[in-house]
Amino acid sequence: MAALPRRIIKETQRLMQEPVPGISAVPDESNARYFHVIVTGPEDSPFEGGLFKLELFLPEDYPMSAPKVRFITKIYHPNIDRLGRICLDILKEKWSPALQIRTVLLSIQALLSAPNPDDPLANDVAELWKENESEAIRNAKEWTRRYAMDN
Amino acid sequence: MGMCWCKKKNEEQGCYYAPRLSTQQDVVLPPPSPVPSPLIYNNTGPTASEPKYPDTVLVDKLILDTLGLIETLVDNEQEPPSAMLQLHNIADNEEGWIQVVNSMIKVIPLADPLGPSVITLLLDDCPLPSKDSIIKVVDMFALSHETALKERNNPTRQRNTCVALGSIAEKLAGPRNMEILNDGVIDYLLTNLEPETNPNVILFSLIALEKFAQSSQNKVSILNKLNKTNISPIRMLEKWKTEIHFVKRQAGFCAQWILDNIFMTDDRKYSYLSANMENINAMLNTSDVSEYLKISPDGLEARCDAYSFESVRCTAQADSGIWYYEVLIITPGVMQIGWATKNSNFLNHEGYGIGDDRFSLSYDGCRRLIWYNAKSDPQKLPRWQPGDTLGCLLDLNNHQIVFSVNGVSLPPSVHVFSMAKSGFFAAASFMSFQQCRFNFGAEPFKYPPSFNFNTFNECGALTADEKVVLPRHIYLRQLRQQNIREDSCTLCYDQKATVRLLPCRHAGFCASCADLLAECPMCRSPFSQLLIEDYPHT
Repeated sequence: MAALPRRIIKETQRLMQEPVPGISAVPDESNARYFHVIVTGPEDSPFEGGLFKLELFLPEDYPMSAPKVRFITKIYHPNIDRLGRICLDILKEKWSPALQIRTVLLSIQALLSAPNPDDPLANDVAELWKENESEAIRNAKEWTRRYAMDN
Repeated sequence: MGMCWCKKKNEEQGCYYAPRLSTQQDVVLPPPSPVPSPLIYNNTGPTASEPKYPDTVLVDKLILDTLGLIETLVDNEQEPPSAMLQLHNIADNEEGWIQVVNSMIKVIPLADPLGPSVITLLLDDCPLPSKDSIIKVVDMFALSHETALKERNNPTRQRNTCVALGSIAEKLAGPRNMEILNDGVIDYLLTNLEPETNPNVILFSLIALEKFAQSSQNKVSILNKLNKTNISPIRMLEKWKTEIHFVKRQAGFCAQWILDNIFMTDDRKYSYLSANMENINAMLNTSDVSEYLKISPDGLEARCDAYSFESVRCTAQADSGIWYYEVLIITPGVMQIGWATKNSNFLNHEGYGIGDDRFSLSYDGCRRLIWYNAKSDPQKLPRWQPGDTLGCLLDLNNHQIVFSVNGVSLPPSVHVFSMAKSGFFAAASFMSFQQCRFNFGAEPFKYPPSFNFNTFNECGALTADEKVVLPRHIYLRQLRQQNIREDSCTLCYDQKATVRLLPCRHAGFCASCADLLAECPMCRSPFSQLLIEDYPHT
């Protein structure tokens, strides 16, 4: 394995020592660049009560390029497609090397609180979200219950 | 080049727009079958007789079509074959996903060198299944000690089941993973490890156990069952690591790796402690390898069981003269083996490896292609087989690379020398479930060139520390205990933070990182000057 950059070691140590409320990020036992992430659905959002699994991978040139993050748990959200890919500016053109794993995950949690159907990744979800928000929210709640809650 | 279209697309477009079924022109799904079709192999439930959509025959055919076409796909820019797109769409529906899994298990032949990779690839690329459908599939398999014994006469089905279980486990690390791995599944996989089982089934049962054990609770459940056996079946299989039966040998390699990395016990010494490294002066470089490649304790054999395209370079470097090394092909699938400089990047998750950039050149004897800069050039030799010897000759006097298979040479390749004329390393990339062994000259060569040449083993040198292939968990534990100084650069933590950006006056960076910045990482404003401070106060 290529030598692990100190930046990744430092972030990992900090994530372990001072975990972020509502978010768990655990490095893979055999791959220090891969994190198993669980984000709890924010209160007062249709995702409340759900536990969403994500994978986060730090590419070779991290932190000069953004982590790659993907939802593993199915989620009904206009900015997340059916393969779990996330449309979030800081993961793309708005990435800055001063951002960290913890800030990225907080932004994703914030995206769950505030879906943005005007910048969609899942077109059909976004359309419904704009045309009939209450039905979209009902779907989101139903998906949360079906896929993100145990039992 | 490895195979992962959807990821590649994700890279290139800022946002990926999933194809919408309703507007997709070229995908025509057949109408629902009017006759109830026995769609799923099922020995338990009544669901099998319900009419489902679309029918089994079509899905079976699409899977075989994908398998047949996969070899011809050599370009990440290329659209995936329509059979594969159709399978994606079918799997978008939960019943469809279940059917795709069942069909794969039924129809993928044991002998096809790309079979297991195709199962992994399709499961990885298909939409995410819900917990319910995964549990439904696993329940339908009704796996147990008894099914393991009963299915021994159908190794194809058994092997494919294990491959699918492994891929699903990998997709679902964490709590979900635990719900699938019930007692029956563990018993099934452990029973499969008995030496009477088909070696292909043993191999993929080991790999499935390894993937399940990625979640720690599963690991405990498996260990508990393992401890109840008199002699650990994995310990028995470890002895196969030098077998000439190449499937058994793979199982031996995986067994050893699992014992060193996952199911460690107090009464077994780590293999690296007893590896004989006396005559080894060059090996695969454990600090110059992508994350998931498995390297043997003697540093000369490598294997990939991940779905990414894993790469490695050797420890010694060739700068002038003629160099030669050989590779024993252990698996018949896609590996790209050849030469690379340090400028060649390992983009394992994007499917780029050796031969996929301008600083490396490789031969893939499965698809029979020479690779340079991600472009392939078809060759006329037969497809390589386990036991074949690939010869890799680098002639820096005449600037050419010549590959040979069992002593039969391919025409020389010259492209890479427009970019580099020295600084070459032996290097290779592996698709999932591929394995080979390198000989840098510590052993006699099988097909040495008839003229004088250098070998890495003769010219290389390694310190005692460099010869240690440390299991990853030990290495990572050591790393995490490192102390990092608080006055370090906030971007790399490697060097002291001495740079302040002007005019915004944000600080906390080292000179090397500041060099890479286009704008201030804190406020995104452009900066025109760097102020170097010895004792910055941030």
